[in-house]
Amino acid sequence: MDRILIADDSPTIRRMMIASLRNLPDIEIEEAGSGLEAVERLALGPVSMLFLDLNMPDIHGIEVIQFVRSHKSFAGIPICVVTTRGDEESRRMALAAGADVYLTKPFSPDQLAEQATKLLSRN
Amino acid sequence: MGQNEFNEQFFEQLLEDYFAEADEHLRSIRRHLLAFEDSLRDGFEADRKDINELFRSFHTIKGISAMAEVSAAENLAHHLEGLLRSLRDGNTGLSQDSLEAMLAGTRKLEQVIASRKNNDPIPPINAEIERIEIIHRSADQRGKAEPQQPGTPSRSGGSIKFRVFFEPSKELAARDLTVTTVRERLEALGTIEGSKPVIRGEGKIAFEFVIAVADGSDASGFDSLRDDGITVTAYMEDGPAPIDGPHDPDLADVEHIRPSNVVRVDLARLDELMLIVGDLVISRAKLSKKLAAVEDLLPVEDSRDLHEINQSLEKQLRNLRDGVMRVRMVPLAEIFERMRFVARDLARDSEKRVRIDISGEDTEIDKLLVERMVDPLLHLVRNSVSHGIEEPEDRLAAGKPVEGVIRLHAATVGDSVLIQVSDDGRGVNIDKVTERARDLGLLAPVDGIDSDLELLNVLCSPGFSTTLEADRASGRGVGMDVVKRVADELGGSISLETSPSSGTSFSIRLPLTLAITDALIACVGEQRFAVPQLAVSEVIEIEPGSIRTLENLEVIEYRGRALPLIRLSRLFSMPGDGRETVQAFVVNEAGGAVALTVDRVIGQQEIVINAINDPLAKVPAFSGATELGDGQAVLILNVSEIAKEQRTK
Repeated sequence: MDRILIADDSPTIRRMMIASLRNLPDIEIEEAGSGLEAVERLALGPVSMLFLDLNMPDIHGIEVIQFVRSHKSFAGIPICVVTTRGDEESRRMALAAGADVYLTKPFSPDQLAEQATKLLSRN
Repeated sequence: MGQNEFNEQFFEQLLEDYFAEADEHLRSIRRHLLAFEDSLRDGFEADRKDINELFRSFHTIKGISAMAEVSAAENLAHHLEGLLRSLRDGNTGLSQDSLEAMLAGTRKLEQVIASRKNNDPIPPINAEIERIEIIHRSADQRGKAEPQQPGTPSRSGGSIKFRVFFEPSKELAARDLTVTTVRERLEALGTIEGSKPVIRGEGKIAFEFVIAVADGSDASGFDSLRDDGITVTAYMEDGPAPIDGPHDPDLADVEHIRPSNVVRVDLARLDELMLIVGDLVISRAKLSKKLAAVEDLLPVEDSRDLHEINQSLEKQLRNLRDGVMRVRMVPLAEIFERMRFVARDLARDSEKRVRIDISGEDTEIDKLLVERMVDPLLHLVRNSVSHGIEEPEDRLAAGKPVEGVIRLHAATVGDSVLIQVSDDGRGVNIDKVTERARDLGLLAPVDGIDSDLELLNVLCSPGFSTTLEADRASGRGVGMDVVKRVADELGGSISLETSPSSGTSFSIRLPLTLAITDALIACVGEQRFAVPQLAVSEVIEIEPGSIRTLENLEVIEYRGRALPLIRLSRLFSMPGDGRETVQAFVVNEAGGAVALTVDRVIGQQEIVINAINDPLAKVPAFSGATELGDGQAVLILNVSEIAKEQRTK
């Protein structure tokens, strides 16, 4: 069973992501509404991969990536950044900080499911 | 992308979520833009917190609009976000120009999203985007050499800082101690200046917050945190490096929009629930009637037991009804806040100084009623700003403060809600209204306006409003017929008080909810009718001797004035029961008070209002039908329509 963590402060976006991933086999989906909540979820139980928004309340997605990558028990978790278009600087920073994939909204459900399958198969 | 790939039904639901979430953010945007306006007026820098909140709201709207395929909203939000970014980074300062560009952009953003919601054509957004780009261009020309002016006072005062560590665990999470609840508790104590995850001994994850508490404020709130095993220590400025996000430190002090236990429910589902409750109310009334009929046939004890059961059933049903009603209730705060925004906009255009005072905004009212009240309140506030509040120099001359005040007040009064819009302006110019009403034939040349009620009736005449709309310089009246009509349709009423010295006050009284209401039941001959109690100001008895006839019109004397009679038996061509002394409902209507005569009033009862949807059966005289528990349908009289129709004859 793979646990996918979705961190985005917009409930609408979280719902769309859940709907996109729901049909993947053998997965469980966790949600977080802020950067700190995302880190907390990681601390409370194993997570197989992370879909991460960048602009969130409290801490920024880049900080979450940096934190995850600096912690040896999480360092290998695949991270897919899903953020709003038009911020080339943040793409560079997210990838430099250790994100594996960078998607922009709007995403299609297939695109998201495809990334999840690809990144999960790496584990 | 999106629509074709998410299944259609899901996409529909998603759009609902989108509108709700966008609306929440737009509300927050409006609030923060007003804060900007205050800062600008008082010569303060824009608060970073406001900037960050606005940035995030525009950013979120951009993201969800992209997903919901509302590209105009995405585009506009993108530009607004860009403006906020350059404000945040100090590339542009807060100026009247940038504020107005944001206000205009936000208004258009609202229009775009509303148009999408109503499936209307999306309005063009070029003008707003152009406006934002002009600001960007002029900022570029100035270059970054001109950042925020130094020496501008900051709003923050003296404070003490604390460092707080929280280590999450499953056990704590089970007790609802999570990073989110801890942060919420900290937010209640002071301002969170930083938050970040840290790794402590043995590779454990913890969260570190830096919180500033106002100097001299009570810090005992930290005790309960300590009791929960959370570490609180004093924060030294020269201690470990201050908490800064590596990427975007500004975002660290963004106030979190707290996740809540709120469920969004489609109003239609609540309507369904209310219908079921309505059916139950009718079933119980039937049971009650049947019980009364068989009472004598039963042993005394059984009969008493059944009565008790019936009574507790009635009570429980009332509780159930109240419960469902409560779910439908929303506070008026949101719509009041919206009016604040409108008033500022209008005041800015007219160069008047206006302040909005809000009270009773916690008063709750049926969601449907709130929606319907938006336009009427808009009209009233608009009228207050453009006609009620005087120009600054006139106010000074009249010995009033330069700044005019519009008060929005709400309160629950018994089973109804009172909404008041008052201003401290010049009051309605009765001479001018009289003159115009005579010109328009609404008043006979010899008639005058002697009371606030008569004034209200003239102002609310449809013809009166339209004429005044073209002539914005004169007194009140724009759209007043709309205000009156909506109040009527919702089963409410409106009244007016005005004086040249203290201004004008409109009071709208509405039922708490629409579906079930208290009604008076009356009969004419064999036929029974229901009349919503809120529409009736008094029930009177009329002796045949007191009726006089004036120009084919029957009138009685009522409180020193002539009150026209409308006989329902005559109106509906139904035989009455032949009695001489009849009863009548006194109803205050747009054209003046009238008395609707019936044979007699037989009782008061809670009724369930069923709309009459069949266009063939729908007549203006009836607002719906109900069942009183004996299986017979009873029509609900629409008294205002009856009075209106009668007047035009």
